Amino acid sequence: MADLSTMIAGLKAISPKEELKKAVSAGKKVIGIMPYFCPEELVYASGMVPLGLWGADMQANESKRYYPAFICSILHTVLEMGIKGKLNDLSGIMIPASCDSLKSMGANWQYGVKTVPVINVSIAQNRKIPAGKEYTASQFKKVRDELSKISGKEITDEAIIDAIKVYNENRKALREFSFLAGKHPEAISPADRNAVIKAGYFMDRKEHTKAVLAISAELASLPESSFRGAKVVTSGILADSPSLLKIFEDLHIAVVDDQIAHESLNFRTDVPIIESDPIMGMAERIAEIEGCSVLFDPGKKRGQELVKLAQDAGADGIIWIMTKFCDPEEYDYVPVKRMIDKAGIPLLAVEVDRQMVNYEQARNAIEAFSETLC
Amino acid sequence: MAADIFTLGIDVGSTTSKCLILGNGEEIISSAIIPAGTGTSGPGRALEAALSEAMLSRQDIAAVTATGYGRNSFEGADYIVSELSCHAIGAHAMFPDAKTVIDIGGQDAKAISIENGKLGSFVMNDKCAAGTGRFLDVMARVLELDVSELAEKDAMAGRVIPISSTCTVFAESEVISQLSKNVDICDLVAGIHASVAVRTASLVRRLGLTPPLAMTGGVAQNAGIVRALSKELGEEISVSPLCQLAGAYGAAIHGFNKLKGRK
Repeated sequence: MADLSTMIAGLKAISPKEELKKAVSAGKKVIGIMPYFCPEELVYASGMVPLGLWGADMQANESKRYYPAFICSILHTVLEMGIKGKLNDLSGIMIPASCDSLKSMGANWQYGVKTVPVINVSIAQNRKIPAGKEYTASQFKKVRDELSKISGKEITDEAIIDAIKVYNENRKALREFSFLAGKHPEAISPADRNAVIKAGYFMDRKEHTKAVLAISAELASLPESSFRGAKVVTSGILADSPSLLKIFEDLHIAVVDDQIAHESLNFRTDVPIIESDPIMGMAERIAEIEGCSVLFDPGKKRGQELVKLAQDAGADGIIWIMTKFCDPEEYDYVPVKRMIDKAGIPLLAVEVDRQMVNYEQARNAIEAFSETLC
Repeated sequence: MAADIFTLGIDVGSTTSKCLILGNGEEIISSAIIPAGTGTSGPGRALEAALSEAMLSRQDIAAVTATGYGRNSFEGADYIVSELSCHAIGAHAMFPDAKTVIDIGGQDAKAISIENGKLGSFVMNDKCAAGTGRFLDVMARVLELDVSELAEKDAMAGRVIPISSTCTVFAESEVISQLSKNVDICDLVAGIHASVAVRTASLVRRLGLTPPLAMTGGVAQNAGIVRALSKELGEEISVSPLCQLAGAYGAAIHGFNKLKGRK
């Protein structure tokens, strides 16, 4: 079996651009999946290939014809790639309406990118009540039908159940990996941890599960960690910037768990299998997810959950990775900070942006924060 | 008793390099401030000037601690510490009762809480230059003043002309538009100071205002800013003549503590 570093290097080398090209060359149709919580299992069930679209570290220029500069850079850069034709090989793109900026993304995409059709995804605001679950399920069924049209074949309940099982296996493997990575920061850097999780957005899920399980097996066989740096839990939308993760590594800060939409929030909750109506099971999952600013959370359970994550993981502090211009995150920050302060856990908020090239101020803040933890 | 352990702190800032040599962790032996920051000859010149004034060589220094934005590129440091930690330590040495420190530097502003003589928590400004030393430099240039003259002009103000823009570029336009109305420059300076005070006070409030307050950093030398900030926060603010050296002072103390095995 390959050693840990070789296995991780393999996942780090996964390129979404190459994966897209490979799938299209193999005669497969690819569907882009924008954040957050789109019914990706339906794409898998259709026999098409899902490809996660969380933006790119690049300058956005053309997208500014459709969005003002002060809009989330994830959306800006996805739209930029679309306008510049970098996503022309997609057969469709799923765009939810999870936040104010995403609400106009579908229309912007339709105007700006004529080549790739939009599949609009709606999730009930009141996602936990029976009517909300029914609404979410009804919308997911519309998505299923649109995917059927694109793929040219019916998507059966059996195929959906099989896809749900594949995704649940993947989520379980990622949960185990995340736990073991938190126990072994000496072996898994923050960048490694992110790369292992991120690769799942571009790889075949079964292949990804296999790779994650192999890494976890290696981690499980390691002796107890000798790591002596600071341990943190991260919270936010996205924390995959190589420059940001390098700062963590340089300062000997380990990410022992997270509440990041791009990371654990995507695999913490499984889809219950409902044989008679598998799509209702997918709506049930949406109802169960906690800790994400774009899913209605009137009691702000996010704060309690974050405190518990930090306590359970033995973290020294919490770093809130604030995506610049993200209103839902900024609104959440205030009540959640109060809860974290009350629990006596040190907290730092650092603002990041897909278009950032200079992280010196973030480095300064993270370094000072780590000095208070030691 | 003559000092036998010398520690040196160097604060390589964005616009200025500050260096301070400490004897036995307490006595200030020498200091130097060179108005050239990271990436320039400033850090080297500050080091040489402080050593020369103390009549010491680098070999006499038991520990060199670098801080400030250019800390990682300063060669020869035994310890590297963030300026937030160093300003907290330095301010505590200057004002042992201070609980909150406001540090306005060349390109950023910070509100710092001191806990047990060290950095507790902090809030920094975002990447915008408004409310920092750079903002005052820009405004002084528009007014054809040296930045060191701002405090004097502020003291002569009869009223405060409000500057509403929070952005440096827009505020500059606003100041130019006021100048075209032939307003009193002193009143305009007081308005500029008030706008910095409002912005900085918001950082302090986000941190949690816990008196007594102290102010460090080069901008603390501007009595007009200190007055405006004190008025905005409704609290007295202590300022040391060594305010600009607080980071270097804290760095030198940090080095001494490390040598003594203190946390």
